[in-house]
Amino acid sequence: MERKISKVLVANRGVAAVRIMHTCRDRKIKTTAVYSTPDRLSHHVTVADLSVHIGEAPPGESYLNMDRIIEAALQTGSDAVHPGWGFLSENDVFARKVIDAGLIWIGPPPDVIRAMGDKIEAKKIATMAGAPVIPGVDNVTDPSVIKQWMETEGVDFPIMIKASAGGGGKAMLKVDSEAEIPAALSQVRSEASKSFGNDAVLVEKYIERGRHIEVQVVADEYGNVVHLYERECTIQRRNQKIIEEAPSPSLDDELRQEICNTAIRLMKSIDYVSAGTVEFIFDPPTRKFYFLEVNTRLQVEHGITELITGLDIVGIMIDVALGKPLPFKQTDIHPNRWSLEVRLNAEDPRSFGPSFGTITRLHSPHGPAVRISSGVYEGAGIPPYYDSLIMLIMATGADREDAIRVMDRAISKNLRVEGVKTLAPLLLSIIRHPQFISGEFSTRFIEEHMDELISMFIEKDSEDEILKVARYIAEVSALGTPDWI
Amino acid sequence: MIDHIFVEPGMSPRDIVNKVRSLDGVCLTSVSMRDAGQSDFKNRFRLYDIKTLAPIYNKMGLFSAECHGGARWHVGVMNRKECPFEEVELFRQQMPRVLLQTLVRETNLWGYRPYPPNVIKHVVSKVDIDIWRCFSFLNDIRNMQSVAEVVMNRGRLFEPAVCFTQTDWTCTDWTCNSYYLKVVDEIVSLCAGTDEIILCIKDMAGLGSPQRIGSLVDVIKQKYPELVIHYHRHTTDGLAIPALLAAAKAGASILDVQEDPLVRFYGHSPILAVRALLEESGIPVHLNLDEAEAAVQKVREWIGHYEWAESPFKGYDYRVIKHRMPGGAFPSSFEQAEKGGFLHLMPEILTLMSLYNQMINYFDVTPGSQITWATCSGIVNRYVKERGEASVKKLISLLKKFVEEKGQDIEQMDESEQEELYLLFRSASRDFKNLLLGKYGKLPAEWPADWVYKSSFGDRWMSQIKGRSELSPLEMVEDEDLDKQKSDLAAAIGREPGDNELILYLMHPKDAVDFIHFRDKYGEAPLVLPTDVWRKGLSKSGCNVEFQSWGKPCCVELVSVGNEHEGYIHVVMRVNNQTRVYSIRTPRAKVEEMRMATGPGDVGATLNGNLWRIGNPQRGTLQVGAIVRMGEEIANIEAMKMENGIYAPFDGQIIEVCAKLNDIVHEGQLLFVLEKQR
Repeated sequence: MERKISKVLVANRGVAAVRIMHTCRDRKIKTTAVYSTPDRLSHHVTVADLSVHIGEAPPGESYLNMDRIIEAALQTGSDAVHPGWGFLSENDVFARKVIDAGLIWIGPPPDVIRAMGDKIEAKKIATMAGAPVIPGVDNVTDPSVIKQWMETEGVDFPIMIKASAGGGGKAMLKVDSEAEIPAALSQVRSEASKSFGNDAVLVEKYIERGRHIEVQVVADEYGNVVHLYERECTIQRRNQKIIEEAPSPSLDDELRQEICNTAIRLMKSIDYVSAGTVEFIFDPPTRKFYFLEVNTRLQVEHGITELITGLDIVGIMIDVALGKPLPFKQTDIHPNRWSLEVRLNAEDPRSFGPSFGTITRLHSPHGPAVRISSGVYEGAGIPPYYDSLIMLIMATGADREDAIRVMDRAISKNLRVEGVKTLAPLLLSIIRHPQFISGEFSTRFIEEHMDELISMFIEKDSEDEILKVARYIAEVSALGTPDWI
Repeated sequence: MIDHIFVEPGMSPRDIVNKVRSLDGVCLTSVSMRDAGQSDFKNRFRLYDIKTLAPIYNKMGLFSAECHGGARWHVGVMNRKECPFEEVELFRQQMPRVLLQTLVRETNLWGYRPYPPNVIKHVVSKVDIDIWRCFSFLNDIRNMQSVAEVVMNRGRLFEPAVCFTQTDWTCTDWTCNSYYLKVVDEIVSLCAGTDEIILCIKDMAGLGSPQRIGSLVDVIKQKYPELVIHYHRHTTDGLAIPALLAAAKAGASILDVQEDPLVRFYGHSPILAVRALLEESGIPVHLNLDEAEAAVQKVREWIGHYEWAESPFKGYDYRVIKHRMPGGAFPSSFEQAEKGGFLHLMPEILTLMSLYNQMINYFDVTPGSQITWATCSGIVNRYVKERGEASVKKLISLLKKFVEEKGQDIEQMDESEQEELYLLFRSASRDFKNLLLGKYGKLPAEWPADWVYKSSFGDRWMSQIKGRSELSPLEMVEDEDLDKQKSDLAAAIGREPGDNELILYLMHPKDAVDFIHFRDKYGEAPLVLPTDVWRKGLSKSGCNVEFQSWGKPCCVELVSVGNEHEGYIHVVMRVNNQTRVYSIRTPRAKVEEMRMATGPGDVGATLNGNLWRIGNPQRGTLQVGAIVRMGEEIANIEAMKMENGIYAPFDGQIIEVCAKLNDIVHEGQLLFVLEKQR
């Protein structure tokens, strides 16, 4: 059947929504934004052609409100829905509802989402497809089950408790001792039900100094599955990625082929369609990798794969949703760049406490070989209810050193955000750290080097200094000569 | 072109002394960068303006530029918000060929209390100054030892000063030449001869009549022909220029001067006039005249911006002979009187000072001048407050009778008058009483009469006299723990202090902390803004100020100043062409009523976020009265989809819940008050 997409409703906000709208604009497809009350003046609303208010601030009332979103799509004459990342992007019920409402779902089929969304199910499927998996136990509701599993399988601390339906670093906790288990278990279950509407959790052995490597895959309805090579996302804080790069500096060509082929095998075995990512944890001492999960959606860090391959993954998702075959074969994919991405979160770079408020000044760090993916504008408010990501900064170079150099310039010279704190000082410290530069790091890099990284924060900046002088002038102009003068 | 530079940084003290000795005639020290501003302009000359003289001085052939020390230090930190260290750094860049000179108060350095030797040595070793003019307000040369030691070991030039005062013409009392010669002997002995020092005669009030000063220089030169003498002479009495000439004729080699347009009434003599008179009298003056004229012109360009800082007490004051207020103390004393609302009592205070000086003998220079001022203005104010203004006149006639008629013999006074005298110093400051007890060192002539002790200490006076010390404070003050001072400062400013910041803190603890906060907040505003903008800001829409910061041009333009609304004024400005809005709190701004966790039983929010749970899943909501265990989660804050537990810090009982469910709470905000369980 001939399918047509003339207007896409983007069921998301911020950076994700804006990113998708950009490709839609390229393709002359109109866009519909949805927004919650505090987001009514958000960037994604401005960028869209149409917008619909879908509820109040709490995500449950707005960005997770499936019926309201589908109603908005129908009401605006949108013919397709792109869920972005987070929120409803891996919710098979929503995908099914979208399809049942006669709309095109830009993403993998609901059954695939459901199968991979259940971490326990996913591990079984992966095992059958020949992918190595980490030992673990499923459907844990009671701390005693964890103890028993550890004894039978001979697993030592640390372990990881995480939501079966999870992803994106939400609702997962590392546990170092038996005493912490009860509190951690109840916290993960609570966060899981808040974030994903499902409090099922699983427990796994924690790979201590692992590296996080994932393979980007695209697939069409006709069984063509192509990988776009891997990304490394090892630099994390609180289990959330903050720096990603492609290719991975951890792999040699042989391992690269192996890990990519494993991903293809797995995705073929589940009849995957659209863009998706197979995540692995890589254990450098043994040079073994283990399957973690499949993300059945567009990922935050897809941009760096686009930069090294020259492809538009959102565009591919739209084409696949239209029923088109992939326009390339595996042998056509030749990455020829190194690309680095940092996530500029509105957070205190020392404590990672969120920093919401108004962005009073925003200078985007444009320049050669830099790609900016922003979800905000100067003057925008950052509400406390959602994710803290405000901008992705990507840098490209002929090799890793070159890409790091471009990133350093972008963050250290051209970027300026006032009004909220951002991770920028920390991101800069990381990319300047000798161990990052040499590629020697693990997922614990930040916690292991935090004091050192903080000590590398640059204290003074010429523009800050001018603003201090200006503030003085403003005060004296308003209040008159200070009495101490 | 002739190079007029004859001494410069890097030369050894001996070389510098020999250069001056071999000079035909005299050379000059410019005090424009320190004492000129102190004496007539409350030390308000800003580096922004002062620095314009530096490139000129660099070619002028001065002996030195006094640009550091005295009260300039403290006022810099307190009022101008300039750091003495950045001043020196700038002068080194802009006048690298000029000897930089400081004025330092022996054990008090640039502060107001006696420091122990370890602090003195630490501080003196960290300050990059070529010439250290050092004085003791008691002429207690022992007190100079620590400073002398470090300065001379560093290979810098030590310039010990003899504080000078004058009581009568006949030299029959303690201020006679033989007294000063004895002080000079002590100096020569402390400094192991006359080859590596310069002797300063510090006439800080401006009292030395031409003949008197000529005679003093002559006597010293007769005994120490090789000793180079530097005369520091304020203009207060109106006789400064002839006094300088007399000193030069008698053999003084260096004279203190300042640019002509800086001269008011209490500072120093005008450079061009002094030069002209000396040359006419046949004494050559070593000076690049063209540059001196250029400096005079340069001062004219900015001196008009300082009218606001001038002393309200204008005109020469020959009575300084009696009250002896030093030039450097004039504007600050008058400023204090004006602010305190007792400016009209100044004549009485000055008269009282004249009488006081005859009863208690020391030199009116910091900290002595502050003690004199505080004691006398304190007595006058107390009399006015307790007994009315007429009582001040009565007190003065009583003291005149005591001093002038009765020869300070208290037994000759009536009983009621005696009673009044016995209470005169009872409320005097601790500094005054410490002075009587020898805490600053030995007084130059003799200890005050017994009645002064009885008046100060009441019944305990005899035991206080017994406890009086004859030692130098250097021998009495115990060394301080510099590491502890540093950690105290770090706690006060919330970061590691630099070396220089520690020294500011050692001198003026409270003002240094305020200063550091100010500069952290306002950056280089004190250095880059023109004086009018520094004082008044931008007056009208469209006004702008341009300056250089970090090597780049900057422009700040005022767009508008809004009306006050609920304690805030919005100021719109264009900063380098970008519009910015500043919300300025006025003194009428409402104090935000957010309670912060500060006490030992207070539990605060660890981050900004939504307080979505009070209690925990096991126990449900916790209320006042609930007993909680250490480490138990008692609340949870959600921010950007992450949950963050708040845990009980100890076993205890909740006695107050200070926030409501679903409040947006701020980091540090008080959530609970717990009472510890025993």
